[in-house]
Amino acid sequence: MTTFLIKRVLQSMLTVLGVITAAFFLVRLAGDPAVLNLSAEASAEDIARVREALGLDRPMIIQYFDFIWNVLRGDFGVSLRQNVSAMSLVLERVPATLELALTSFVLGLGLAFILGIIMRMTGSRFVRQLIMWIALGRQAIPIFSFGLVMILIFSVWLKWLPSLGRGTLSHLILPALTLGTYELALYLRLFNASLATEQRQDYVRTAYAKGQGKIQVLLGHMLPNALLPLVTVAGINLGLLLGGTVVTETVFSWPGVGRLIVQSVSQRDFPVIIAGVFLISLMFVVINLIVDVLYGLLDPRVRMV
Amino acid sequence: MTFDLSRIVAVSLLAIMIMFMVLTPLMPFYDPYGQNLAGSLVPMGESSFDGKFYLLGTDTLGRDILSRLALAGQVSALIGLGAVAVSLVVGVFLGLVAGYVRGPVETLIMGLADLQLSIPRVLLLIAVSAIIGPSVTNLAILLGLTSWVAYGRVARGMALSLREREFVLSARTQGATAAWNIRKHLLPNVLPQMLIVGSYEFGQIVVMEASLSYLGLGVQPPLPSWGMMVSEGQSYLALAPSLAILPSIALFILVAGLQFLSQAFTSEGEVAGVSERSK
Repeated sequence: MTTFLIKRVLQSMLTVLGVITAAFFLVRLAGDPAVLNLSAEASAEDIARVREALGLDRPMIIQYFDFIWNVLRGDFGVSLRQNVSAMSLVLERVPATLELALTSFVLGLGLAFILGIIMRMTGSRFVRQLIMWIALGRQAIPIFSFGLVMILIFSVWLKWLPSLGRGTLSHLILPALTLGTYELALYLRLFNASLATEQRQDYVRTAYAKGQGKIQVLLGHMLPNALLPLVTVAGINLGLLLGGTVVTETVFSWPGVGRLIVQSVSQRDFPVIIAGVFLISLMFVVINLIVDVLYGLLDPRVRMV
Repeated sequence: MTFDLSRIVAVSLLAIMIMFMVLTPLMPFYDPYGQNLAGSLVPMGESSFDGKFYLLGTDTLGRDILSRLALAGQVSALIGLGAVAVSLVVGVFLGLVAGYVRGPVETLIMGLADLQLSIPRVLLLIAVSAIIGPSVTNLAILLGLTSWVAYGRVARGMALSLREREFVLSARTQGATAAWNIRKHLLPNVLPQMLIVGSYEFGQIVVMEASLSYLGLGVQPPLPSWGMMVSEGQSYLALAPSLAILPSIALFILVAGLQFLSQAFTSEGEVAGVSERSK
């Protein structure tokens, strides 16, 4: 287990280094930071002075290591539009994004769980197919379209829920429903497949032979085993959900990191964009690491690989 | 039975979409760029003040929604095809090289793939397109370069087993170079599977392009795109919901069609990496 843990942590650190390197190149692609920091009428001497102050006249490789050091300290430079550090702007928005991502995660998993059980328990082929077709149909609707339809139905027509902003629980329902149901088809298919695998196991036959009912076997025996792969994939998808928050936050004006990134794009505020992308990627890597380690703890077979 | 059904659904949805995109410009409808100040926000199936009839209504600038939808569809399809072509070429090349050459080259290529998967694709696209500036060509290339991993992984997996097969070994003993073997023996064998991956990825790329355009980072005006039309329609959701709903329906038809198409394909030959989803 220790070797597995060390290997996995080292792998994640390597990934983070890769992300930092990508960020470094993105910063260079954005243009000379000295020019970006100054107004358009700056003279050549001004630019040279700022270049020296920012250390841009040094060799590229030194700048690269300097950049890594800065990133490790969370220093992505100062926002070009607001005179505060880019990272502090991003960090302010993290709780909102996490709130949305975690709620969507729990909602999506819970729905998959309930619908999966219904699909297993019902004798009706029609109900099973109906649920699957609805889930597949949902998957074919992009997040922003689905979000707008939700707003149209529940905010504009029924006037039940607010269409934008963050605050009360009712603000959370529509964005979480939009983001959380996107992966429903995947979860359902996975849950069904793993339930079908468990169905063929000896312990299930034994349980039936003991005279236990269908519900008892399903909930008491099969479920704990069948949930494992579902939870793993859902865990990995928690990282993917973070990517989905960008669009969802824009649709619902949710004040999270994703919306900040999109707003910074229109203001051409590159330090904030790169700090935001870096932070979300970092959360993504950390979540994947945690899921892998947890899975290793739960299922000893994983550690062997 | 389900698979037959999904094949029928796929073919009919895609046929509707293709016919719509191809036939609409041939009909005597309005110019997709033409503005009509006397006909702003005309509802579906009504006429403007100056007596022009609009089947699907007009937007705020009085532009005909129907012809804009068709043009936007062509733009999306073009970007999607371009991106699939780019990612297919890059992914197959890197995957086959990794699987055939092995050693440090393989470690490097697969490491790159892992790295790319560790940054959410939407964010990578936002960051890069914000910096280099979006255009139709840039979008196709960017979307293509960020989607090669699915092809690369499947191609590598197949190359690993193909390189041990007799026909490849015998070519190698007769002095065939790696490049020759990859081109003549591996490529024809992986191509069918790659097209299946492509049919799945096409839908993903269409959604990605629409999302970027919705965020204002994709297709730029005056060229229309479905994502942008939804974003423009969002401000008039209460007043004229069809502005946002119509492009959403168009997107749904295309994406669902592609989704069912790839499902019909995968049920025939199971492909390992296809179920791998990446946003």
